[in-house]
Amino acid sequence: MAMELLCCEMDRVRRAVPDGNLLHDERVLQNLLTIEERYLPQCSYFKCVQKDIQPFMRRMVATWMLEVCEEQKCEEEVFPLAMNYLDRFLAGVPTPKTHLQLLGAVCMFLASKLKETIPLTAEKLCIYTDNSIKPQELLEWELVVLGKLKWNLAAVTPHDFIEPILRRLPQDNEKLPLIRKHAQTFIALCATDFKFAMYPPSMIATGSVGAAVCGLQQDEEVSSLTADALVEMLAKITNTDVDCLKACQEQIEEVLISNLQQFQEQGDGSKEEEEVVDQASTPTDVRDIDL
Amino acid sequence: KAGELDSKFTRTWGIHTHEGHLQGAAGTMSEPSRDARPIPRGSRACRRLFGPVDSEQLQRDCDALMASCVQEACDRWNFDFVTETPLEGDFAWERVWSLDLPKPYLPSAPRRAQDSLGRSKRSSSSPALLQGTAQEDHVDLSLSCTLVPRSPEQPEGSPGGPSTSQGRKRRQTSMTDFYHSKRRLIFSKRRP
Repeated sequence: MAMELLCCEMDRVRRAVPDGNLLHDERVLQNLLTIEERYLPQCSYFKCVQKDIQPFMRRMVATWMLEVCEEQKCEEEVFPLAMNYLDRFLAGVPTPKTHLQLLGAVCMFLASKLKETIPLTAEKLCIYTDNSIKPQELLEWELVVLGKLKWNLAAVTPHDFIEPILRRLPQDNEKLPLIRKHAQTFIALCATDFKFAMYPPSMIATGSVGAAVCGLQQDEEVSSLTADALVEMLAKITNTDVDCLKACQEQIEEVLISNLQQFQEQGDGSKEEEEVVDQASTPTDVRDIDL
Repeated sequence: KAGELDSKFTRTWGIHTHEGHLQGAAGTMSEPSRDARPIPRGSRACRRLFGPVDSEQLQRDCDALMASCVQEACDRWNFDFVTETPLEGDFAWERVWSLDLPKPYLPSAPRRAQDSLGRSKRSSSSPALLQGTAQEDHVDLSLSCTLVPRSPEQPEGSPGGPSTSQGRKRRQTSMTDFYHSKRRLIFSKRRP
């Protein structure tokens, strides 16, 4: 008895159980689909806003943010949500590249506070920037980012769609945890790639689940659905255009393959310069995925 | 243990309760004695990505961006939030008394004094909304605004803003009203 109480208190993360009423209610999914567009970045900012920041720099900061989130065992949503903040900020504010890592840290700081029981601290994030920024700067920029995001922090992310989609798929319950895990990894992968930044979260989620199911079905020959039937069913769940969804799923699979290749090259080749390795580093979870 | 739980709760929800200053900044409240997620020694994730950071430029840009946020709010609400003065425009501002705000929503002096990170600057960032006579556990002053009809046909110049009919008073009587209004007040920006 006493032990049980102690265990509860020591448990780091407290989570609510999934609420079947919410997950099965059609209105919840419809409302998510209605509001998701509000939280997309307003433009392709490399073309129309940023002068100093290049796409590869976004990739560098995204890779770093993912590493921090994984090392700190953040909730899965924290990283994509932080990237959403970063993209929305950059879509409005021309920013020098020297501020980019600070911004990434601020976005993780905010996303972590919104989503986690015990959030990342300012001090810790500063250490992760190799102390190139001070906690006070982080806190001041936090207000700047909040202001520019108009305090709209509860953005819809692809993760919001994962459970509603999985609940509507005719899949064995035993397979669901693995599908979920792979889909989450695909979502993180998408968040590191700017090509997906303007896609609606529902499409990324649907494509990720599709890619996860297809990937797992290649292993076992127990596919109850053909690939086409699966895409059509998924498209129906999130009201996505079938062709768009197919294209999205293919892009996700391509990104996975190119990441895996980069990872292998990294492993085979001799140690290159640190910066090159950084750009090519792979989200660690991808290593677990068998194609 | 209750105290620790309390502090966790405050830290988690700081973002909602202290909108103006975000005291929930995790590093600023008393930490639990041990860090459940320490940074591993020699972590490769600890690195700077784009070379040295110019603190002065950072500060200049921060000030400029904050000023632009304030200016946006100023234009949107015809109210100078720095000097706390109503300006000419669509809204007529008046002081409101007896708006019972619970204590957690006040900028509390003791906590600010403890602050080692120079947060006093932040706490004073929205004097218009949180100034007033603090009593035992309530503050009694805020502002309410009324949309003033300027012309017979009111142009809908602020999508996303309050759709108040002409001249109707929008008195902020409840907590939610107050904070909802405040959020828009300071950071509202027109949607394209």
